Amino acid sequence: MKFRFMACFGLAAMALASGANAGEYNLTVDPVRIDTGTFTRDGVGFNGASPGPVLRFKEGEDVVINVTNNLSELTSIHWHGLILPFQQDGVPGISYAGIKPGETFTYRFPIVQSGTYWFHSHSPFQEPDGAYGAIVIEPKQREPFNFQREHVIVLTDSHPHRGHRIMRNLKMMPDYYNRQQRTIADFVADAEKMGFQAALADRLDWGDMRMMPNDVEDLQGFTPLINGKSTQQNWAGIFTPGERIRLRFINSSAMTYFDIRIPGLKMTVVQADGNNVQPVPVDEFRIAVAETYDVIVRPTEDKAYAIFAESVARTASVRATLAPRAGMAADVPAMRKPPLLTMADMGMAHGDHAGMNHSASSSPATHKMPDGTTMQGAAHTDHSAHGGAKPRDAFYAAGSGLVPTAAEGVKFLSYSDLRAMRPLYEHRKATREIELRLTGNMERYIWSINGIKYSQAEPIRLKYGERVRFKFVNETMMTHPMHLHGMWSILDTGKGKWDPIKHVVSVAPGTTVYMETEVDAPGEWAFHCHLAYHADSGMFRKVIVEGGPPKKQAAVSGAKGG
Amino acid sequence: MMHFKMTALALAFGLALASTPAKADAMHGKGHAGAIGSPGNAAKTTRTVTITMHDNYYEPESLSIKEGETVKFVIKNAGSLVHEFSIATGAMHAAHRPEMNMMVEHGVLEPDRINWDAAKKMQATMGHGMHDEPNSKLLEPGKSAEMIWHFPNHANLEFACNVPGHYDAGMVGKIKLVH
Amino acid sequence: MTGRIFAGVALAAMLLTAGPAAAEQLLWGVKAEQLEYRRGGDSNLLAWDVNAHVGTDELKLVYRSEGEFKRKGSVLERFENHFRAQVPISTFFDAVGGVRIDTPEGPDRVHGLIGLHGLAPQWFEVDADFFVSDHPSFRLEVEYEALITNRLILTPSLEFDLPFKDDTAIDIGAWGPKAEIGLRLGYDLIDRLVSPYVGVHYERVFGKTRDLARAEGKDDDAFYLTVGMKMIF
Repeated sequence: MKFRFMACFGLAAMALASGANAGEYNLTVDPVRIDTGTFTRDGVGFNGASPGPVLRFKEGEDVVINVTNNLSELTSIHWHGLILPFQQDGVPGISYAGIKPGETFTYRFPIVQSGTYWFHSHSPFQEPDGAYGAIVIEPKQREPFNFQREHVIVLTDSHPHRGHRIMRNLKMMPDYYNRQQRTIADFVADAEKMGFQAALADRLDWGDMRMMPNDVEDLQGFTPLINGKSTQQNWAGIFTPGERIRLRFINSSAMTYFDIRIPGLKMTVVQADGNNVQPVPVDEFRIAVAETYDVIVRPTEDKAYAIFAESVARTASVRATLAPRAGMAADVPAMRKPPLLTMADMGMAHGDHAGMNHSASSSPATHKMPDGTTMQGAAHTDHSAHGGAKPRDAFYAAGSGLVPTAAEGVKFLSYSDLRAMRPLYEHRKATREIELRLTGNMERYIWSINGIKYSQAEPIRLKYGERVRFKFVNETMMTHPMHLHGMWSILDTGKGKWDPIKHVVSVAPGTTVYMETEVDAPGEWAFHCHLAYHADSGMFRKVIVEGGPPKKQAAVSGAKGG
Repeated sequence: MMHFKMTALALAFGLALASTPAKADAMHGKGHAGAIGSPGNAAKTTRTVTITMHDNYYEPESLSIKEGETVKFVIKNAGSLVHEFSIATGAMHAAHRPEMNMMVEHGVLEPDRINWDAAKKMQATMGHGMHDEPNSKLLEPGKSAEMIWHFPNHANLEFACNVPGHYDAGMVGKIKLVH
Repeated sequence: MTGRIFAGVALAAMLLTAGPAAAEQLLWGVKAEQLEYRRGGDSNLLAWDVNAHVGTDELKLVYRSEGEFKRKGSVLERFENHFRAQVPISTFFDAVGGVRIDTPEGPDRVHGLIGLHGLAPQWFEVDADFFVSDHPSFRLEVEYEALITNRLILTPSLEFDLPFKDDTAIDIGAWGPKAEIGLRLGYDLIDRLVSPYVGVHYERVFGKTRDLARAEGKDDDAFYLTVGMKMIF
């Protein structure tokens, strides 16, 4: 009771102190119709639309956001990437109880950062059904780059099926949506290329595992959208030739990674996950689900440029346009060939680990299969020989079929290229390491951490003031974008104090990736794979941060009481 | 002066790239001084302009210079990264950037310092030296330098930082030559 | 018997609802593996193999209905109702327990059932069931999907029934197996929701079961052309 009073008093004091620097915002969570040009469907949106509005905050502002639930089920809003008191984080069952139909919940928190972020429902399947929007936070200080214009680019993967149906279908038949499976004709083609025996041996190897090399996107059949528009609907952003334009890319997709390029333009990456990075000019970059990248482009010609995003498995693409005038549409590039996973992605490749640093290394050649048997790497099925010309990227397994290459130009952004503009924390050795094996059962569509799904797992307990080193070991064949709420994820790229500060860390199959977290936010937080159906089927943990300064603890206890 | 020499460097590598005219300008600024101007005589200096280098922009963001004027620049790196102040044409800057890239690849140019051991190693193995370029100053964080520059009457000049990514992020300013 | 079923249902309901705080959604689905018209044999017939399930990752309750309705004489030749509970026992296999209640034209039969359901290496979908009663038997079903394209799918299937005791009332002789093989070519018309197919179906009885059939003047085998619809919802 006392705590509750103190918390209230604290809030009141905060409100008084902030004065003019408080912004009030209203959001409604609404049933909406989504029109992708190829299909229309029911969905969930904010303020009557999907994607929802772009919320523009100022660093240092105390925001008050009234969220009204116009749905007939519980809802919630999570402010993705924002550092805030945990009760404001918007995860039902962890931060709070959620928002009941017809109710209005008021979020209050200070804005302590700047950059590009997003918000979305954290209630089952509302985000895949369309409940997402962008957040742009203007910094207090001048930014370490220069631009005359900006556009927010929200990527989504709208699917004709509603989320709960997709989940049901995947559970019933995990390859329900996979229309890239190898056919008899593919076998004939392989036999011609590599010989009948090798082709057969390859099929038998994959068949033994009951896994598929084409299993890159487990949800296909979606229409990718940029700012809610498909290729035909052509979202267009205006520029004046010679201007520097800041493009704020946000991947709000439920399940889809995209490779993004603007043919004819170099993109200079200046922010990753809202944090400034030392600028990197690239020809193309891959954006994991829930990541954000800000790039600067400088079109000099008076013509339309395509912003082209291909899904990683090349099952779908979307083109938007940057144009000097309204009404222009850039050409649509052809999609490239889909990638095939290799035995390296299954964690089974032999040999070449050269060039790997300690921070991102391939799993050992001996791989424990999900059924407990052990399988030795099968050299004859390692496709790395075929794709040998591909450059090494330490964040993919050696010989991986997923290593991206630029369609035009040469430079494809790697995590290794990301360096923090300014270290956020003093660099120090981690106080302890926590291993998180990313695990799953493809056939049952159960995703888990350390073999245990969320519903059966104990929370991860952290102590305030620790610097924890998380070791992700991806034992599955899928790529998992891991997202820790409430605290920054410092991705270990081997660059010490320059390691980039992120909120999503993508872990490719067959790799081990480390991130470190300064445990500086008391309370209870979510930690999960951001692929919607992986999170909902169990690749999820609650993190409890214990201890902390009395002031912060009081706020925590007060909120728990109230 | 040793200190000055070490911090105020232009990193120039001939390589095959030197075949392009723009490259040749950047490499051998002195020989083509007419195009972009030339190192100035201290006695002829008409004024002093302070250039503060931040991450990743200049203060001031553009310059207005009289045709044929000789200006003393006092350049301070107030940022937390290595920055360059270089006077040249856009094309010359563009030609200069791949060399800077190479410096990064060889570990010579770290985000916040110049690695002299790596520089020596690179010089020894590749046979390309680093030498002062009169039109450029490359400064570690916290360092300062001076540069006296005599501007031509007509030129399309920019002052820019060619540390990889910095120019592309907008660390470049126009030099307007006024009558 | 019914008491036991109720107890089972009650236990299942308890397991389904008593999830931890982070409860996952209750899963359900309906599949018509076969829903077809067969032309051939001594009579054209309607045949189906349909199941519906509800449950979680840990426990699925499945109702399966399998039957044949002969046009000639309008006879419900075969009608099986399986009430199955499936529990995962390995990555790819579930243990199955339950009851099978046959209520065709003629005598009814009730069996307890225990079996395995899952995916064998090389993508063979396998059901192996022991039916336990006064008329025990074993059944093995194997199915494979060969992709001609990603939508045009050829499905060979095999079903093998082995009775351990005589059940002369329904023309079954001990150790006289019945085999069914099928080959169906389907096209996924709407997602995997509706996939019409055409195919062939052949069945044959052996041993003592064949002798019983012959004694009644029936064929010991039958060949059908089939047209049908696979559905998943």
